[in-house]
Amino acid sequence: MIVFTCEDTFEAMMTCIYEAWSSKAGHKNIKLKTEPIGNLELFCEYRHTDGDMEKCRKVIRAIQQKISRRAYHMVFRCAASEHPEKLDIIYRFLLLGFYYGSRVLSMLSHPAVMAFFELDRKVSNETHLFREFTRFSSSENGVLSALIEPKSNILPLLYPSFEDRMPSENWMITDVNRRLAAVHPAADETYLTSLSADELTLIRQDYFQQDIYTDMWTGFFQNIAIKERKNPACQRTHLPLWYRKYAVEFSPDPDI
Amino acid sequence: MEIIKSTLSLTEKLNILADAAKYDVACTSSGSDRRGKKGFLGNSCAAGICHSFSADGRCISLLKILFSNDCIYDCKYCQSRCSNETPRATFLPEEICSLVMEFYKRNYIEGLFLSSAVCKNPVYTMEQICHTVYLLRTRFRFNGYIHVKAIPHAPAELIERTGYYADRMSINLELPTSEGLRALAPAKTRESILSPMRQIQDRISEHRMLTGKDPRLERSSANRYLSGTIFDTAPSRKLLSETPAKTSAFLPDSVRADRSFVPAGQSTQMIIGATEETDFQILSVTQALYQQFDLKRVFFSAYIPLNDEPGLPPPGTAVPLLREHRLYQADWLLRYYGFRADELLSTERPNFNPHIDPKCEWALRHLEQFPIEVHTADYASLLRVPGIGNKSALRIVKSRKSGSLTFESLKKMGVVLKRAQYFITCKGKTLYPIRLEENYLTRQLTAEQEGYTRRIGQSAHENWRQLSLFDDMGLK
Ligand code: SF4
Repeated sequence: MIVFTCEDTFEAMMTCIYEAWSSKAGHKNIKLKTEPIGNLELFCEYRHTDGDMEKCRKVIRAIQQKISRRAYHMVFRCAASEHPEKLDIIYRFLLLGFYYGSRVLSMLSHPAVMAFFELDRKVSNETHLFREFTRFSSSENGVLSALIEPKSNILPLLYPSFEDRMPSENWMITDVNRRLAAVHPAADETYLTSLSADELTLIRQDYFQQDIYTDMWTGFFQNIAIKERKNPACQRTHLPLWYRKYAVEFSPDPDI
Repeated sequence: MEIIKSTLSLTEKLNILADAAKYDVACTSSGSDRRGKKGFLGNSCAAGICHSFSADGRCISLLKILFSNDCIYDCKYCQSRCSNETPRATFLPEEICSLVMEFYKRNYIEGLFLSSAVCKNPVYTMEQICHTVYLLRTRFRFNGYIHVKAIPHAPAELIERTGYYADRMSINLELPTSEGLRALAPAKTRESILSPMRQIQDRISEHRMLTGKDPRLERSSANRYLSGTIFDTAPSRKLLSETPAKTSAFLPDSVRADRSFVPAGQSTQMIIGATEETDFQILSVTQALYQQFDLKRVFFSAYIPLNDEPGLPPPGTAVPLLREHRLYQADWLLRYYGFRADELLSTERPNFNPHIDPKCEWALRHLEQFPIEVHTADYASLLRVPGIGNKSALRIVKSRKSGSLTFESLKKMGVVLKRAQYFITCKGKTLYPIRLEENYLTRQLTAEQEGYTRRIGQSAHENWRQLSLFDDMGLK
């Protein structure tokens, strides 16, 4: 068994798929995995691949042309997943896709397609939840800043919806665990950047500074509920506790 | 009074006017699809986006507030009525604008839901509302969702102006019948509610026609596979000839040209359980509103007794949440399942059964039409099977073309077999041997839905009193 491994970035993953595909080692005899690799298995040969823009592009083009653009969007989302086997799931789907073409997207009962769709659905759902429950706080200089802790690497999928929503504000969204930020200057394009530990600390401190509008929102939130209809169970199913961490209306504790 | 008001902080005003707005049910931001624009704040997503859930489990999507709760009227059911001792507040339009902008930027909300008590007089109130949305759209360059209430007795011109800045407008029907209205809200008349509703409807369809759309709102796309839904039996009105263009001449063409008029459609709400109307009356009114006013949605609001008034349920009475829920289920059946009000209820059976949902109840009364064979039944009949929804019915119709179905595959398509099993056969066989007998099936289905039914009611101690009331009336 040959295990092709790579860093957990989109470029590296696409390159890894390229190498695995062209290794001609026989699809049954290979596995693809993102690093870090936990326990090394005996009798496996591990081959690390580095990201290569050229090869990455080739794979993207192949997916779009041989399968469809929709398939490519799904691959992009699945690559954001936190699932340890995601790369192999994507690879198995692509093998079928390159064989069947766009028809693969309706082969819903095939286990490889099912696994791929399931992965896509999870990532899409998580992205949508963060569209709803991401909260910005406003600093004195008028920059809006949000902190998120998604399970999947959804920030690249999330920020375009805020770009559309707030094209002419200065804002940033920070993925705390990945130390990754999407920064949107009011008059410019959004870009992704990684943050140092110190930068993150500063951003965190700023985030939990409350202003008059956070207080007013909390007040609104308490007043809008009808006590005669109180239903905490229903509230909990809609808004799981762990999403509430950064939502001001649930009085977040800066120390968690 | 004036002195107290002017010293209120914005926070205090917001608390008072959010509290006063909470009894309005609609909080959805759906129906408008609009991309963001450079230099503006906001967009709008057709499916609507929820931003939080309040302690009563309802979704918070919009900043739902009253412009003022300082009412000159005295509707008997209302917390803000003038004879109640309650703190009063009135916003300035600019205050509302900055709240919307700041909340929106923080991603707390999708937009504004602005309603109001009648402050000073209907004209003044509507003017202020109109001015607020005008400011939001122009000076503040807000491009998110706006839902505004039209005030009864407000002049047509103001209502129309407002409509060009709003995504959705609504005017509350308040009570299902004019008698109810006369008894509880004497200052409002049916006419003062229906005429703005008609005006908004006409402007919407006129505007839709100008932009090359069908004059009536789009409905669920699956309805095209059905015949005789409430929407295609709706009496058609000759809109343009009936109401000549003069009423729409309030705004200069330049403004009208690049603005849509209430693109997310019109809605209304009525109070359930304050007056004696039956479910049948309520549902018939609902159907008539969809047909004659082309409303996008009709909302129901379970009556919460706030005032001690002769003739009204006293404070402390259980809130009829389960009844409200049944009406919402029935409303769904009208809009998506091709049912008509008079199929679900009748003067002999005027109320829904609290123990089972309206679709099951209908099926139990029409056992002669069941079981149906999933391989041959048409889409419309499949839809009428309890446990088969829109999506699963479509999937059945599609997939049986390419192969035969099994109970297992039906389950995978989303059919709830626990319910559907009594009403369908697959290749001539039922899932288990069953008796198609009303009392037996009623017991089975009641047991299956029991937990769910209880959860709906539990929040407000919708206790057994409510349920036994139905028993007493022999409805079980
Ligand atoms: S008009 Fe009637 S329902 Fe509206 S706020 Fe005034 S008293 Fe309440």
